[in-house]
Amino acid sequence: MRGFLTAKGLIGAGIVMLVLAIALLAPLVIPDRMATAMDMRARLSGPSLSHIFGTDQLGRDLFFRVMLGAQTSVLIAGSAVLMSIVIGLPLGIVSGYYGGVIDNVLMRLVDTLLSFPALLLALTISAVLGPNLTNTIIAIGIAFTPFLARIIRGEALRVAQMPYVEAARAAGTTDFMMIVRHILPNIMPAIIVQGTISLAFAILAEAGLSFLGLGTQPPDASWGLMIQASRDYLDVAPWTALVPGAAVAITVLGLNMFGDVLRDVLDPRTAT
Amino acid sequence: MTEAIVTIDHLRVTFGKGADTVTAVKDVSFSIAPGETVCVVGESGSGKSVTSLSLMRLVEFGGGSIVDGRLTLMRKDGPIDLAQADTTTMRSIRGRDIGMIFQEPMTSLNPVFTIERQLTDGLRLHLGLTGSAARARALQLLRDVRIPEPERRLKQYPHELSGGMRQRVVIAIAMACEPRLLIADEPTTALDVTIQAEILALINRLKREKGMAVMFITHDMAVVAQIADRVVVMYRGDVVEEGPVAEIFANPKAEYTKALLAAVPRLGEMQGKAAPEPLRLVGQKFVPKSLPPAAQPEPLLEVKNLTTYFPVRGGPLRRHTANVHAVEDVSFTLNKGETLSLVGESGCGKSSCGRSILRLVEPTSGSVMLDRKDVLACNPRDLRHLRRDMQMIFQDPFASLNPYMRLMAQVAEPLRNFGLATGSDLIDRVAALFDRVDLPRSYMRRFPHELSGGQRQRIAIARALAVNPKLIIADEAVSALDVSVQAQVLNLMMELQADLGLSFLFISHDMAVVERVSHHVAVMYLGRIVEIGPRAAIFENPQHAYTKTLMLAVPIADPNTRKLDSDLSFKPIPSPMHDRSYRPTPSTYDTVAPGHLVLRD
Amino acid sequence: MAYLINRLMSVVLTLFLISIITFAVTNILPGDVAMMIMGTQSNPEALAGLRESLGLNDPLIMQYGRWIGGILTGDWGTSLVFKEPIGPLIAQKVTASALIVVMSMTIALVCAIPLGVWAAVHRDRWQDSTASTVALIGVSLPDFFWGIMLILLFARGLGWLPSSGFVHPVDDFQLAIRHAFLPSLALGLGLMAHLTRMTRATMTGILGQEFIRVARAKGLSEGTVVWRYGLANAIGPVMTVAGLQVGYLFGSIIVVESLFNYTGMGWLTYQALLNRDIPLIQGSVFVIAAVVMLANLAVDLLYTLIDPRIRLA
Repeated sequence: MRGFLTAKGLIGAGIVMLVLAIALLAPLVIPDRMATAMDMRARLSGPSLSHIFGTDQLGRDLFFRVMLGAQTSVLIAGSAVLMSIVIGLPLGIVSGYYGGVIDNVLMRLVDTLLSFPALLLALTISAVLGPNLTNTIIAIGIAFTPFLARIIRGEALRVAQMPYVEAARAAGTTDFMMIVRHILPNIMPAIIVQGTISLAFAILAEAGLSFLGLGTQPPDASWGLMIQASRDYLDVAPWTALVPGAAVAITVLGLNMFGDVLRDVLDPRTAT
Repeated sequence: MTEAIVTIDHLRVTFGKGADTVTAVKDVSFSIAPGETVCVVGESGSGKSVTSLSLMRLVEFGGGSIVDGRLTLMRKDGPIDLAQADTTTMRSIRGRDIGMIFQEPMTSLNPVFTIERQLTDGLRLHLGLTGSAARARALQLLRDVRIPEPERRLKQYPHELSGGMRQRVVIAIAMACEPRLLIADEPTTALDVTIQAEILALINRLKREKGMAVMFITHDMAVVAQIADRVVVMYRGDVVEEGPVAEIFANPKAEYTKALLAAVPRLGEMQGKAAPEPLRLVGQKFVPKSLPPAAQPEPLLEVKNLTTYFPVRGGPLRRHTANVHAVEDVSFTLNKGETLSLVGESGCGKSSCGRSILRLVEPTSGSVMLDRKDVLACNPRDLRHLRRDMQMIFQDPFASLNPYMRLMAQVAEPLRNFGLATGSDLIDRVAALFDRVDLPRSYMRRFPHELSGGQRQRIAIARALAVNPKLIIADEAVSALDVSVQAQVLNLMMELQADLGLSFLFISHDMAVVERVSHHVAVMYLGRIVEIGPRAAIFENPQHAYTKTLMLAVPIADPNTRKLDSDLSFKPIPSPMHDRSYRPTPSTYDTVAPGHLVLRD
Repeated sequence: MAYLINRLMSVVLTLFLISIITFAVTNILPGDVAMMIMGTQSNPEALAGLRESLGLNDPLIMQYGRWIGGILTGDWGTSLVFKEPIGPLIAQKVTASALIVVMSMTIALVCAIPLGVWAAVHRDRWQDSTASTVALIGVSLPDFFWGIMLILLFARGLGWLPSSGFVHPVDDFQLAIRHAFLPSLALGLGLMAHLTRMTRATMTGILGQEFIRVARAKGLSEGTVVWRYGLANAIGPVMTVAGLQVGYLFGSIIVVESLFNYTGMGWLTYQALLNRDIPLIQGSVFVIAAVVMLANLAVDLLYTLIDPRIRLA
């Protein structure tokens, strides 16, 4: 546990907790009108005492919009990663633990899916289903599944070959109990680490999708959407892009730092 | 005594900084004279490797620092203190005045460079040899270390050579500039016993021919007895005893040396004894009893014509193209309350044989009868129940326990699987098992990483005992342990056999250990049993050529029985991989004496 | 030789699977091509007629057969947005994207390998923590964020480079590079950070190996030990990871090309997706996946040239 007590661990955990707190609390604390109130006289005004992060093209306060955008971004990224783990976990375990024909077929499919860039896959699915919040989750979730299934399969395979699994089999443990008692607990650290890193990628993916107009749609507010809206005003009001961009970057940085430290603590084999 | 080549004077080495500082070497002093082999012996954590790395000043690359002491090396132009030498000086000494070889021949060579390149870059650097001169010298070096077809080897990459040959190349690299001191850090630990004998003989010959000094690091007292002139015994960073090899073995002074020597099984010391006998350890409270031989042998495990092939798949459709013949027509009988050992070198099929009997791998054909029940014929459900009667202990005590499960749960698992106990009854039975393997009950709440290797192996034994099995298959169960811990675990196993009437199928590569624990012995080679019989018959009257080879190669922990006078070269083991169409001949045996069978070649 | 044939058969199989997945993903869509062509307000009878003539009432398997037949014979259909044949359209855009993908990969590798090695050599010291922190920040910034920063700095601020548009290298090579430079940099910076981390991790592992100690025990200088003995072993794994990142790059070009108005594959795919131009989506997605797969194949084959252990296997 000492790994968390490094600068990296503390900063990473701090950022992650801060973003989570904002995502959960901002919608309760900040009245909706603070973020939607348009002040046409203060359109595209720079950071000042009354608007500390400045305002957007409709004169809305960027500070409050970024705070409220956190909820959407975190919700989408979290649900998408959860979805890919929920699909990828059984696939990966079955493939890695049982091996054989199932493994061959599943992994051939997964390898092929990995030829599709995740962002392209997510964009295509989102475009085809019609972009909205739910479909963005589905799109990112599906796009990330092959990657997670592959990782989980590799871990399950590694654990299935450990002597303690053989010892348990020799002691009469059934396949089901083997997975529950031995496989799952031993692949959990890797899943937690990969889940954290995937969360960072999912935040980026959501921002990318929304930036291209194929993710979250107004009136939902997300960071990617804010950056998209800023594109036409880059020259006159660069802060409209930089503020939500920095929010994405800091969140992803925090997740990556947290993931690195988690990996050092939980999964020393793959430590970088 | 002539002037020493190297004198280590109050060496102290630490790792880490501040509160995390660990002292690996506390206060070590000894010297090495020209033409002398000094063995530095000790168990893991004794600081023996750190001492050798300090001499090369390689210890800094591992995060260590020499905080005190002098390391005096005699060079042609006078003595120099290596502890104070700068980087440039050290570079001119490494490989030139001191050569070094390491434990792992498989990783000691750079996989992406040819042998020639790795041999010649030291020559270029220290001797200024280039082109054909360097090449000629490299060829000569390969001949010196007796590598067959040296011209061809130069162009090869490390992965194309066997482990033994790689270690010869590493020695050639260390010898390239004719150093005055060769440091060998456990150079044979990772090798099979026949290869070990070859390498030891080679180092011995090179030492004689070149008149260099050798500092030989090892944990193996038998190797020490074979190769040392003088011995330095280390324990937890200190030298506890130093002296001529004969003196150390005949008349050890330090308590630690005495304990260490008592724990080492010596090949041949069981001569004339009827049954296995626990080792007499120093400081042991009770005198271990000798196991009486069984009055009337009653068969427990009968293996007939057991054959296990592993399919080799290739091509895009992963077609089954060839087979690895891991176990080939193996038959034997193990009696109740007895130990049968399967002994052989790596890849001989001894582990696959044990795992096939438990059906952890599926055998290709043959029959296995356990207490008159057919193991190979039963369906998965019956097999699960049959496994109550046969349990297994694995080699690696670190990998054979689930790191995320409390010890209590691990020992309880077999009991729960078969619904044999629940609630407080379960806890009582697990506690009794902890008592049985001499572990305190307070360990029940602990996790595996809180235990030492020997303690983990005790847990593995407790887990195997939980369901009262009749047979325990112990696959290299003590090979990963330090010698003193190994002796304790061996004694525990023998004690359990005497008390519970257990049968052991003991799988091992260590002839001396096998001699100590077995009633019967089967020698395996290329998947087959080449010779099987009572322990005394195999060790005192070996008949098969391979058994004799093994006997010749095993180092004996007695400096009066040295075997390394001449160069040794044994026949390499051929590949067990064959085309699918290959039909092996059945194993047929000649009976030498009742129960003593020898494979007809 | 057998290895090559195996790989080739595997490639054909994977291409087949890629085509199936591409077709399947684009056919979960509610609505169809006929609707796209005629608009939602069109006459139902005319719509049904068009569906019939386009074969949209056939079972999916037949539609797939027709589509893959077209792909194989060079008839990729016509784009609904651009009203042009898809084959030549994609061929032209692929070269534009190849330019920035190659440039960004070069930028990334040239910087990442020395930086990663440097960090690994000075492991756990300030050099390492500096390089690792910079790399960590690098992988955390989204590509479009890099892009916006670069536009603000080099195009708007300093006015050194154009921030928009594509020029074909054959028309004006220098101008083409100038136009491709900022998009390549936007793609390359994140990639560089990622590869630096990889190189560091790989080199750290290699520097802990026994053959490195043997090399030092020979008296070789640290430079030789690290840059020859060490790096020769790291280059294979790093190239493999770089190859895998081609997939990531082909995802990122969609964002970066549309940000820079750089008319390559990413831009084309984006237009197809925005306008739900199904035939063009199918063609683009198929081509991108195939290119990514072939890039990985190329890296694998390159690896066999670098590493003697695989050469013979």
